[in-house]
Amino acid sequence: MSTRAADAGPPPLDDAARARVRAALVDGVAAAAAGMAPGALVEVTLPVLRRARSCPGTLGRPEPAFVWKPVFARRSLGLAAVRACAAGRFRGPSEAVRPLAEEAVDEWRRTGRRTFHWEPWYAGLDAGARAVVLADAATWATPLWSAADWTGLGARAVVGGPDDLWTSPGPGSVRVRARYEARVHPAPARPVGSGADRAQPGPALVSVSGGTPGDGWDDDLAYLALVAGVHGPGRPVPSRVVGLWPEAGLRRTVGIDESVLTAAAGRVASVVGLLAAATVDHVTVPARAVG
Amino acid sequence: MTTTEQLRGERWTEDRGGDGPGGPGGGPVARGVRSAAAALPTAGSGWRPLSGAALLERLRVTGRPRPAADPGLAADLRAHLEHGLDGPAGPVPGRGPVDDAGPRRGTGAPLVVTARRLTRALACPVHATGDPLDECGFSLPLACGALVDVLFRQLVTTGAIGDALTDGMAGLAVDDHRAPLVAWIGQLAPTELSELRSEVERQADGLRRRWPALDPAWLPRTHERIRVPLAGGAVELVAHVDLALGRPGGDEASVALVDVTSGSRRPSQRDDRHLHALIETLRSTTPPFAVATYYTRTGELDVDPVTPELLVDAARRCRSGIRALTGPAAVAVPVVDHRPWCAGCAEALRPVIGPSVGTGRVPVHAPVPPPVAVAPLVAAGGQRGAADRPEDTSDGVVPVAEGRAA
Repeated sequence: MSTRAADAGPPPLDDAARARVRAALVDGVAAAAAGMAPGALVEVTLPVLRRARSCPGTLGRPEPAFVWKPVFARRSLGLAAVRACAAGRFRGPSEAVRPLAEEAVDEWRRTGRRTFHWEPWYAGLDAGARAVVLADAATWATPLWSAADWTGLGARAVVGGPDDLWTSPGPGSVRVRARYEARVHPAPARPVGSGADRAQPGPALVSVSGGTPGDGWDDDLAYLALVAGVHGPGRPVPSRVVGLWPEAGLRRTVGIDESVLTAAAGRVASVVGLLAAATVDHVTVPARAVG
Repeated sequence: MTTTEQLRGERWTEDRGGDGPGGPGGGPVARGVRSAAAALPTAGSGWRPLSGAALLERLRVTGRPRPAADPGLAADLRAHLEHGLDGPAGPVPGRGPVDDAGPRRGTGAPLVVTARRLTRALACPVHATGDPLDECGFSLPLACGALVDVLFRQLVTTGAIGDALTDGMAGLAVDDHRAPLVAWIGQLAPTELSELRSEVERQADGLRRRWPALDPAWLPRTHERIRVPLAGGAVELVAHVDLALGRPGGDEASVALVDVTSGSRRPSQRDDRHLHALIETLRSTTPPFAVATYYTRTGELDVDPVTPELLVDAARRCRSGIRALTGPAAVAVPVVDHRPWCAGCAEALRPVIGPSVGTGRVPVHAPVPPPVAVAPLVAAGGQRGAADRPEDTSDGVVPVAEGRAA
């Protein structure tokens, strides 16, 4: 991924367009959640969106109890490894993962603070199991690390960070959550007269997915921009979202404008409708795909 | 990672501690191309497994220029593979069952093509059903392979292996999919467990002594998955590479792929690593510069420099396999034909080696299949890149039998 990828693209949505998108989301979600069972909580995430598209009948089924596994730890540790490599601490993710994990465990033991949440689980593993966690994280992080010149991007690139979360102000408890792997801000504007008087593009989001891009990959990327754009004031709406599928060696980009975000809001509302129905009737969810 | 059909290592290949460079004959590591046969250990030859810097040098220096990125070649290879395959709307017989992620919208799950599946599809009728790993469940060799697999990852990632069986079991136990195997190992009789422990420790010891630390700048990663969708996603080529080194996708090849196996050398492993070279080329348009198989049982290392000819051969074989998987035989009773040569046949005809055969090797002249002309590739797929590239062999022929399976 070129370091110039974040410098191209359309200007970010203005406040009026952003307000219209937010209104579309609020109204759509409120209407979809109207029939929700009292006290129920619905959370939309990217995996939920994908399931709604491919296997809507599975929405609302009880999830198995959460148990830590290497696959759940690799992303957070892998992102920390990329950050540390970008800062010059290590020469590659394979060198970074072990000390970072040990530092986090030491910190947790000393202060009780969990950097990654999985520290107690990791600390209780035997050496062989820890090695699997580290190996998975290094393998996960390496394509992201080699996808861009993170060191060159410097402070413009923010790798990792908390999830974006938007809570519906309407009836029912509806949360919309999204995560991406990096946010890259455009280069600082050049002096007036050198062409910098054009509007600056918004930041670019970078998302890493497993497998190959299936149907609806562009919907997935637009969803990330939607949640990033509405979850809080003061942050510009992304101008583009870059999707990486390292297993397939593919990179695809979606440019973000008002129509893309409005369509994404509509899909979120549709999924909320499916999930809301499942809170009432746990047996089946209408087996129709989300368009 | 593949497993062994024999648990015990061959004692005559034991590393006796020599860490210096040692190819066959004990000389310095040859920079030229060494065939797999040349790397075969023979009794009394003084052969020692490569270790340390020499092992890395063997991986890094193939004796050929590193290939450059060639989007045209990658496109040609893809076109050859996709020729005759239906697109996403068309039926592809033999597609796998819908996985946990559910079917793709309107198309069903892709036909997943792996090295193992390809080998079975291209096997002659005698060997088509001869995959013991599918038939008899768990075994000591399979358990050994799984344990050595996680130990290799551990060594690459942390640089150390403690008690081999303890570490290996912990590594398996953290993976839900391995729970049945872990339970099976847990109920082994003491003698069997002792046998397993002994062999796992022996192979782990070989790894400790021979594998040096890998420079983090080489971006070592283990268990790397590579997927290449073909024909609009109707077919997916999938490789699981035990160790990948180098940054993919540059202007010049910098990636080396290493398969690690606890088993003995098999002809199909050569096909497997060539398939992995093909899939990586399709993924990144830059071929890996080398594909290798490391044998933890003996310390042997087979390295193949990747050339356009290798990739073309791999594409031919892959296409034949896809046709076998998607053709009528994939949905009906396998058609008995007269293919006399498959990886299984080659294995059966391999010379018996070992201390029990006197000088170490019994010369067996295996039947060599007649050559197949290069031209059919161009005719079938309409690609450039086959006929206009010199082959290793003379007269424009390639001694492979893939045409038979087509």
